[in-house]
Amino acid sequence: MSVQAATPAPSVTGTERRGLTVRTVLWHVAVTALVLVLMYPVLWLVSSSFKPADEVLSNLALLPDHGTTSNYSQVFGGVAGYSVWQYFGNSLLVSGLAVIGNVLSCALAGYVFGRLKFRGRGPLFAFMIATIMLPHHVVLIPQYIIFQKLDMVNTFWPLVLPKFFATEAFFVFLMVQFVRGLPKELDESATIDGCGPFRTFWYVILPLLRPAVITTSIFTFIWTWNDFFSQLIYLNDPSKFTLPLALQIYVDQTSQSAFGPMFAMSVLALVPIGLFFVAFQRFLVDGVSTSGLKG
Amino acid sequence: MTGRIPRPGRWSVLAAAAFTLAGTLTACSSSPDEVGSDAKQTIRFVWWGNEDRAAATEKVVKRFEKEHPNIKVQTEFSGYPAYVQKLTTQIAGGNAPDLLQLDRPTFGEYQQKRQLAELTPYVGKTLKTDGISDSLLAGGEADGKQFAMPAGLTTQLFVYDKDLYEKAGVTVPEDGWTWKQFATDMAKVQAESGRAGTTDFGWAIDWFESWLHQNGKQLYTSDRKLGFTEDDLEQYWSMLASMRQKKGVTAAEDTTKMDGSAQNSALVAKESGSEIAYDSSVTSYVSTYQGKLGYAPLPSDSKTESGMAALPPVYYGIAKTSSHKEAAALLLNFILNDSEAGKVLGTTRGTPPNSEVAASVCASATGADKETCDFQSKVKDRLSPSDTWLWPSGSSAVKTDFQRVYDDVIFGKSSASAGAAKVVENAKQSLGQ
Amino acid sequence: MPTIAQARSKGERAEAPVPEAQARPPRRRRQRSGAAYVFLSPWLIGASLLTVGPMLASLYLAFTDYDLFNTPRWVGLQNFERMFTQDDRYWNSVWVTLKFALVSVPLKLAAALGVALLLNKPRRGTGFYRSAFYAPSLLGASVSVALVWRSLFGSNGVVDDFLGIFGIHIGSMVDQPRYALLTVIALAIWQFGAPMVIFLAGLKQVPNELYEAAALDGAGPVRRFFSVTLPMITPVLLFNLVLEIIQAFQSFTGAFVIGSGRGGPSDSALLYTLYLYQRGFNNFEMGYASAMAWVLLVVIAIITVLLFRSSRKWVFYAGEGTR
Repeated sequence: MSVQAATPAPSVTGTERRGLTVRTVLWHVAVTALVLVLMYPVLWLVSSSFKPADEVLSNLALLPDHGTTSNYSQVFGGVAGYSVWQYFGNSLLVSGLAVIGNVLSCALAGYVFGRLKFRGRGPLFAFMIATIMLPHHVVLIPQYIIFQKLDMVNTFWPLVLPKFFATEAFFVFLMVQFVRGLPKELDESATIDGCGPFRTFWYVILPLLRPAVITTSIFTFIWTWNDFFSQLIYLNDPSKFTLPLALQIYVDQTSQSAFGPMFAMSVLALVPIGLFFVAFQRFLVDGVSTSGLKG
Repeated sequence: MTGRIPRPGRWSVLAAAAFTLAGTLTACSSSPDEVGSDAKQTIRFVWWGNEDRAAATEKVVKRFEKEHPNIKVQTEFSGYPAYVQKLTTQIAGGNAPDLLQLDRPTFGEYQQKRQLAELTPYVGKTLKTDGISDSLLAGGEADGKQFAMPAGLTTQLFVYDKDLYEKAGVTVPEDGWTWKQFATDMAKVQAESGRAGTTDFGWAIDWFESWLHQNGKQLYTSDRKLGFTEDDLEQYWSMLASMRQKKGVTAAEDTTKMDGSAQNSALVAKESGSEIAYDSSVTSYVSTYQGKLGYAPLPSDSKTESGMAALPPVYYGIAKTSSHKEAAALLLNFILNDSEAGKVLGTTRGTPPNSEVAASVCASATGADKETCDFQSKVKDRLSPSDTWLWPSGSSAVKTDFQRVYDDVIFGKSSASAGAAKVVENAKQSLGQ
Repeated sequence: MPTIAQARSKGERAEAPVPEAQARPPRRRRQRSGAAYVFLSPWLIGASLLTVGPMLASLYLAFTDYDLFNTPRWVGLQNFERMFTQDDRYWNSVWVTLKFALVSVPLKLAAALGVALLLNKPRRGTGFYRSAFYAPSLLGASVSVALVWRSLFGSNGVVDDFLGIFGIHIGSMVDQPRYALLTVIALAIWQFGAPMVIFLAGLKQVPNELYEAAALDGAGPVRRFFSVTLPMITPVLLFNLVLEIIQAFQSFTGAFVIGSGRGGPSDSALLYTLYLYQRGFNNFEMGYASAMAWVLLVVIAIITVLLFRSSRKWVFYAGEGTR
């Protein structure tokens, strides 16, 4: 299909463009209004991080009466004897490796389940889906025992290793759905060209899976970053703590809590995942090579 | 499969990448172990708490390591709810730490499930107890043997907004309220100020326990059975119902969120003018409450039983599976009895258990810590020993169930008598009766 | 015009390289099966090492009395009997979870799809808007979110003040049995970022020429949505539906943090997994908790199987024709 053929006649474009400007303005107004409503709680969180200690719990207003940056200076002054950057570094390391592991292993598994025909596919696929149906609380202790036996407790291994083995069925299933949505003629023609399954996967499927890969990267990064429970169970040494673990030190139900610094650190913890999202969502754009392939 | 040339190449690259990764991971996570050396030992010490507690504990541990160069202490901490889950997972997974911090429910739980080492062999040797009062030590005993050490001293108290009470014309009687006077005064505070006189205290089994003691009973008997009857609880909750009717205590929706923390406190939210609490919470009230606070003993109809006890806010125990019990006991002794360590720890786990250390800490205390010290010295003679305040295995289930059923009562889903019956029935099941 | 997508898929099947495949069928199939298992090996290793064992362990524990510290004691079906016949809180948690899932899943998916469609066209500022809509989902569920929610739905919160304008005075919604679950549902819907991104990714996979062809055929925006967009994103729709249902049935952290670890006032927000957690880690009844978990697994599995069955009728895979 040629590009020219798809382009409508000039006169049509003219009227549409004028119609579009009004519509675009309306669109911006509507979307901005919606964003403001949804963002209010986030803004409240950010503003609370600038409230002094005696206001944090008692002043529910959006803006602090007496703004202060002391919460931030307290956080940057160190948390439980370590620099806050150390926790950032640990969180980044764990989340970054998790992204690599999840993308590679889940794309492979997704390709196999989504495209290849092999004996045992049905039952294995069913089992894969079943693994997300069991609440993780009841497998927590058996899994802990396994990592304990492997002598991996108090290392980053239990947090990272499973990702390289595609244990998160959510992402495998996501990849499967995207692989099944790809036109089959692509890999068949690759096969004709003499590509084996791996080369087909690497050169044909993986690039086409870009939206799914981006999605997986975004979610893996953010969810690993926020994954309090596994980090809690497997990391003991405060020098290996990640941000969510360090954050707890400010909140103690049984004695005095420091909510101001807690809010400040929550806001700081949002920055890297926010940036990650902003950076990666840009790749969720049109023009993946599917278009044009048909011709 | 073997005929394709590019594939092995790809795989080996991947494999190489994976191994490099593996290398970096182990490099940054390897922990020094005490394999094969009997001189150098590593013990793990776990606790929950806030930042002040963290800083002080780290400092004391450093000092201990300097004094005992052959012992390395690895500390682990988390918030309270997370702590219980983590410790449970560690113990169930066969990876218990050596020295652990406990509270009343967890102490009962782990002791009865035989996860704690008996400390009696160390008492008087590695572990000195001379400076710790018997009434406090008793809290760590079970079946006549010592299984845990008190980490501090706390007791129940009544916190109130001084100015609010003054404006309402309510003063704390010289020798404490009787419950009847108390009910009248709380309604008066509400009538004058619009704020409930006190936070409805029917939610926490802890305050019911105080009331039981005032009536010559206890929550759990020494053979770990339920120490009260349906009638007791019905009577107690009915007393609260009439206070609620006269608006002397907070409404249901202000009461339900209570969990003992400042963040959910009705007093801090200014929905009430006072609250029953442990004195270990005084610091958090002072730092979050806008207003001037006063402290008083609990109301009681009994002249001899105040309903207040010398309780350990937290305990220390040594895991039964620990292979470094001696070293753990050494650290424990240092934390409890070393005067310098005591000064550093201050009141981060209640006032220090060692009375000498406590005296020197209180002498230099300021602010909220001073308030706590002053209150404790004022009521010192009225505190009952902690041995009749033990919570057995199953008590954490009973505690949560108690609050849940009370929700049903205050929201009108259940009568006080039906609720009381339910609590007793469930409690008996949790206690295995 | 049936759907363009269908027309296209028919063409595809005709174009499939039949002769090549027929030339050496046995060798090709064996090779593919072998390759499949090689590719699957990471997943197979992970599943057999880290997943199967713990799952079987929990299945075994479901038939035992296990207090986490002492050796599990076999009790047969006793846990299930107690659960179904004697435990009021169990049935309450089932009911609460059903209400939660029935309300939150459709609303969350509708919000996600609606916003994804709004943001699909490349316009100035879409990147910013996408990030803004995703921002709530960055927060996850932590203590700070609990405080934020209290500031919104607590007494004197924003929602209370807002409703006050219309003369409605509810007070603290978080603390009343009638409304507490609603606030948990609101949190779930507010964090619709994940399904939104998945919808966006799905929309990006729709080949442009389909829209161009539809436009040439004179199809308006509504027609284009129903005949091109919707059929082409049915795989992601199925994905989102299945996953959101599974996650709704297992929803835990939102209710956990809002209710400070309890199930809301008078158990009004006691979700199934929250109750399971309380049984396992507060009451030390891991046998009972495991039994609850496996009942949940069976129920979710049945729902999922039904969804997959039905999907043959309504999900369209470009790679496989209409099935």
